[in-house]
Amino acid sequence: MIFFFLLLLLVLAAQIAEFFIPVLPWLYNAHVYLVPVIVFYGAMALPFPLMLALALYAGILLDALTVQVIGGKVEISIGSSILLYAVLGGIMHGLRPLFARGRWEVHCILSGVCTSVIVLAQYLMITFRRGSLIFTREIWWQIGAPGLIAMALAPILFWFLHWMARMTAYSYLPERDRFE
Amino acid sequence: MSRTNIIALLIFGAILGYFLTFGPETTRKFKSGVYGLLAPFLSGGSGLQKQITSVRTGLKSLEQLERENSTLQVDNRALRATNQALRDVEHEVNRLRHALNYRDRSVFKLIAAEVMTRDSSTWWRTVTINRGKRDGIEADMPVATDEGLVGKTTTASDNIAVVLLVSDENCKVAASVEGSREQGIVSGERVIEGLNPVLNLNFLSKQADLKPGQKVYTSGVGGVFPSGLLIGVIKTFRVRELDGQAQLTPAVDLSHLEDVFVVTGRK
Repeated sequence: MIFFFLLLLLVLAAQIAEFFIPVLPWLYNAHVYLVPVIVFYGAMALPFPLMLALALYAGILLDALTVQVIGGKVEISIGSSILLYAVLGGIMHGLRPLFARGRWEVHCILSGVCTSVIVLAQYLMITFRRGSLIFTREIWWQIGAPGLIAMALAPILFWFLHWMARMTAYSYLPERDRFE
Repeated sequence: MSRTNIIALLIFGAILGYFLTFGPETTRKFKSGVYGLLAPFLSGGSGLQKQITSVRTGLKSLEQLERENSTLQVDNRALRATNQALRDVEHEVNRLRHALNYRDRSVFKLIAAEVMTRDSSTWWRTVTINRGKRDGIEADMPVATDEGLVGKTTTASDNIAVVLLVSDENCKVAASVEGSREQGIVSGERVIEGLNPVLNLNFLSKQADLKPGQKVYTSGVGGVFPSGLLIGVIKTFRVRELDGQAQLTPAVDLSHLEDVFVVTGRK
């Protein structure tokens, strides 16, 4: 349970940190997202009920801090990110046997893919509201680049989270030798 | 699936359903509450970021100086560092003096605010400012600098407010063109190509013969933005099937916002 609460704190810290991480102008102004990687690690490492709780918490934070109410209308209703995190987290959770065997690289790649899926889903939702479905090269990069960045960051974050899990004597971990 | 998992799923579904039923007003209140809770962290993070940026700038100039003058003595370095710090202070004083002058000569009632954070999401162009309900700020108030229009507030908590930038596709501003009777609606683009955003002035007449360099101001129609705030300068004009469209360069450099003013009314 200590590890679960640490994950909640880390999600909060990462969500705040995202405000201060500048966009990458050389990558079509792509944003750096840290929270999805932490949530997806939690999806692998936590039991199902706690994975849902983490998705709920991260989804509420994301929606509360990003969704805008403009002219009396909400573009993306609060709750949509909870659903996204839960569904994608569920997929990651389903691949837990691989994680338990120490095959963390699959999850690193999937973390990147799922991060892009979240950005894509947001784009589709606002497009549904605003109309005119446009897919330019810039838009594809703004969707794909956060995923690539998340994929690159995932091994470092996973290693750190795994170390933290060991420090807190968390029991749902893969065999030590295989992961490290 | 185990019984515990089914119960967890049911509770999750119930909470999710509860959030999905939130209307605009509840959402705004919820957002305001969350921002209120996180205000100390955002404020602290903003201060820390400024310190880091300041240190980084100092180091860069020091590196340059080291390259140019490899024989400089330690006391020389200390003196240069002091000079750098003083220059930072001078820049800050000049900036604030400039802002104060604008507040005095402006025809609007203004509340000065500092930009704390920039947008953390891909699809919305927002900034948060360090003024909120306690300072009299509410949703849908115009935000400007001495150079022109910045955007409007969308959410206000006690100490923080979120500002939707004029470069966002959803920030629509009624506008008129200097030296013509043309009126239209300015809005941003969904995705910014390159570093500097471009604004679109839509619903112009096809006969509007607008020239690059003409200034575009808020027209005051719509109730949110008062008339007379500079939005941008015309870059190009083209005739579409049903109307004319002009592209504008924003009057304010939205990528380097530091101090802004929330317009609360006319003097």
